[in-house]
Amino acid sequence: MTVRFAEKELKELIQEASQGEKYPLAKLISELEKPDSFEFRKVLFKELENSGFNGNRSVTIGFTGTPGAGKSSLLGEISTNFLQTVPDKKMAVVAIDPSSHISGGSLLGDRTRLSLPVREKRIFFRSQPSQLELGGLNPYTYHVIRLLRCFFDFIFVETVGIGQNEIEVSKLADISFLVMVPLGGDQIQFMKSGIMEVPDAFILNKCDEENLARASYHTLSTTLEFLRDIVPGGSIPPIFLTSVKTKKGIQELLDFILKSKPHTKRSTETKVQIEKWIKTEYGNFGLKALSQTHFDPNGSFEEVETSAKTEIEKRYK
Amino acid sequence: MEKKDHILYDKTGNPSKEPAWIFRTYAGHTNAKESNELFRKNLAKGQTGLSIAFDLPTQCGYSSDHAIARPEIGKVGVPINTLEDFRILFDQIPIEEMNTSMTINGTSMWLLSLYVALAEERGEDVSKLQGTTQNDIIKEYLARGTYIFPPEHSIRIIVDMYEYCLKRIPKWNPSNICSYHLQEAGATPVQELAFALATGMAILDAVKERNCFTHEEFEQCVGRISFFVNAGIRFIEEMCKMRAFSDMWEEITKGIYQVKSEKYRRFRYGVQVNSLGLTEEQPENNAWRILIEALGVTLSRDARCRALQLPAWNEALSLPRPWDQQWSLRLQQVLAYETDLLEYPDLFEGSRVVESKVKDLIENANKEIQKIKEMGGAIKAIENGYMKAQLVKSQAERLAKINNDELIIVGKNKWKEGIPSPLTNDPDGGIFKVDPKSAEQTLKVLSDVKARRDAKKVAESLARLEDDAKNGKNLMFASVECAKALVTTGEWADTLRKIFGEYRPSTGVEGQKLNLESDKVSNVRNKVEKFQKATGARPKIVVGKPGLDGHSNGAEMIAVSAKHAGFDVIYSGIRLTPEEIVQSAVEENANVIGVSILSGSHVELAEQIFAELKHYKADIPVVFGGIIPQPDFEKLHSIGVKAIFTPKDYDLMDVMDRIIDIVTEKIPASV
Repeated sequence: MTVRFAEKELKELIQEASQGEKYPLAKLISELEKPDSFEFRKVLFKELENSGFNGNRSVTIGFTGTPGAGKSSLLGEISTNFLQTVPDKKMAVVAIDPSSHISGGSLLGDRTRLSLPVREKRIFFRSQPSQLELGGLNPYTYHVIRLLRCFFDFIFVETVGIGQNEIEVSKLADISFLVMVPLGGDQIQFMKSGIMEVPDAFILNKCDEENLARASYHTLSTTLEFLRDIVPGGSIPPIFLTSVKTKKGIQELLDFILKSKPHTKRSTETKVQIEKWIKTEYGNFGLKALSQTHFDPNGSFEEVETSAKTEIEKRYK
Repeated sequence: MEKKDHILYDKTGNPSKEPAWIFRTYAGHTNAKESNELFRKNLAKGQTGLSIAFDLPTQCGYSSDHAIARPEIGKVGVPINTLEDFRILFDQIPIEEMNTSMTINGTSMWLLSLYVALAEERGEDVSKLQGTTQNDIIKEYLARGTYIFPPEHSIRIIVDMYEYCLKRIPKWNPSNICSYHLQEAGATPVQELAFALATGMAILDAVKERNCFTHEEFEQCVGRISFFVNAGIRFIEEMCKMRAFSDMWEEITKGIYQVKSEKYRRFRYGVQVNSLGLTEEQPENNAWRILIEALGVTLSRDARCRALQLPAWNEALSLPRPWDQQWSLRLQQVLAYETDLLEYPDLFEGSRVVESKVKDLIENANKEIQKIKEMGGAIKAIENGYMKAQLVKSQAERLAKINNDELIIVGKNKWKEGIPSPLTNDPDGGIFKVDPKSAEQTLKVLSDVKARRDAKKVAESLARLEDDAKNGKNLMFASVECAKALVTTGEWADTLRKIFGEYRPSTGVEGQKLNLESDKVSNVRNKVEKFQKATGARPKIVVGKPGLDGHSNGAEMIAVSAKHAGFDVIYSGIRLTPEEIVQSAVEENANVIGVSILSGSHVELAEQIFAELKHYKADIPVVFGGIIPQPDFEKLHSIGVKAIFTPKDYDLMDVMDRIIDIVTEKIPASV
């Protein structure tokens, strides 16, 4: 597939998107979500770089957890507080919902639980079907996030479902949260599956009732004590108690997020994402080829992708 | 003297005839003055009770001068802003002699307060007032959408009303559990039984928890609970459902709530027969459907309703005209006064078939109630989305059956060819339209009242309402005071919104699937696949339900069907503004916007949607669906609407087929 936008048009779309115009940005995202968007990506990210948008200072926040943990409503509250208390910053939300395995279609219901102001340029919301990858990220999420980082200060990525796939989000988030409900009983299961080691912080949401909240807090923090040995520095991740109903803990959580910086792992992000992509496309054979490929960790994804592909093709012969 | 089995005897043992049920017509439109004239005419025609329809802003707690109210004023009922509108509405109607039913839920306390204030102002003995405020907020969350506050606060308001009414207006039914809309939303008879009775128990539990009554008073309270049910076309089953209702309510009130007095255990109910089954095609057939449905709730004496209202033959086309309502009333009069229906004891007593069917319904409904109980009761089953999802599922199954021709609907999927009805050939097209200028009168009354009322009194009474809401006091007293101070509907509701918040329930569509695999489905999926090949993406549809109209079945079914066809679907429930819907479509870069409207405000809302698209410079095609009369098609097309779907377009894959064609048309420009 060829690149849809002519150079001039692309420049305009980027300029308008950077000024908070929603439709041009939405169009750019749609192009990134298409398979074979490689050529478009190359042109787009080059153009973005030339225009001075690199996204290096933007922070990506991952929200993951079981369905029904109230992630969307919580994000809704965070957005409201964000818009009220941080007048000079912009945020975007990417919400990923599962697709139907029969028709391939999807019902993207996350907007239901968020009430967003209209014509507000400082916030942008986009749904994304998981493209049959149960839970987790879809193959294009990473590129959409790279784009959003150029225009927004904070990018929230929300994923539904739970399992190993889920924690994918932590691989591209600068900070990732596991959202749970009080006495949901998830903790032990998560512990078994190793998921508890992944998030940077925990949220006990739906803490509408104090006693229950406190009881759950203690259960969770006791569970987390086991992590002390394996976590570098021996410090355990923070736990936030929140309630959308009573507005408890929302501002504290937002303050914590606002203080976050782009993570050091950002430099290895390209590597992690390219490995994920190669693994899907070429399996272990591809990964082996990739390990022989030398690439610049600060280079663009597309450059790395090209050299990896060349290496793989060489081996095919 | 030997008592004969086929003769009906009264309490004293004399042969008698049963008095007829109350004849009502669900009515109200345009403004208070027009509705007053309509009521008086209907009463003169032999109607024996009033059933007031309120417009959507009144139901949702907005005054007519609120921006969201503007397209809806007087459309599906009468607009009520202040006591002044009630003065006009009940002019020359003796309210102390009336039995008035008000179909109002979210603002039921407010409307009852206005009624009480009017009676007191007229110097009537308030304790004589008789009637019902529907006040079944649970079915609003599930099916009709005119809720305002979250469940816990809504229940509190209902309990406040029970407490107030028991002492002051003992003949008033403070709430009426309405399973009517559940059937409209797809409920099976078992679901209707189970969900309605679970709702009844939720209210009784809340009353008990308040602990404000002695046991005798609590029994009276149980006696004040009435039900409002739906009668569908499968009239034998519906009659059995009514018998099951009575038996189950007896069991619940006696067993669980220890009600000793038989009188207070009696299942009291009114009926509106089903609108869901009425067709836009060959609308004259609806007359027979209505008659048959009326039989289900009148034929069997042990399951006979206390009040009946019948829809009009042309309700699938638009609001009925006064003549159409008159025709419906005449049907009731023929049934009650010409036939011998009321002269016999119960006809079905001892019928093995009926007994067995009733038993079956009871067993299954009890299982369902048990499930709800295990979840923690009706309120919990609302909050966790269970009941809503069950209804959407039933509705999807029903539609799939119609689409597969498993369920025959005469004139719709069978025997479609016919001679056009002469009934629709009148110059008015057989339909009723509210004069758009009539809203001015309502707004003028409102602005006059606002200009001349005592601002200090308004502020004081609203402050009291706010305090009482915060402090857990019974809100009826402050509300009546507000009514007398000429507070507006919007002011009352806004004050409570501030304290209680506004509710957004689950849409019920998530995780739903359609049981439909046919050539049509494959055909549409092929087109979707082609689209995907050509553009590299699935077609994306935003399904929107703008305005205050909460009848979301259509939108839900389109959302589920579109997913079934392979679309990516964004559906965010009801009561969104056109601005919100367009913003979703723009941010998601949707390929099409599908809008569902049943309240008659399609033209105004289309204009708002296209204005907003223009703001974003977005060229996204828009299709409309709902009760949209043919004469409005041209106007909608001229505004820019690409396609219009009405109840005639029941075949979901035909609808999807047209939509994918519209989406595909745009490919050359967008690739």
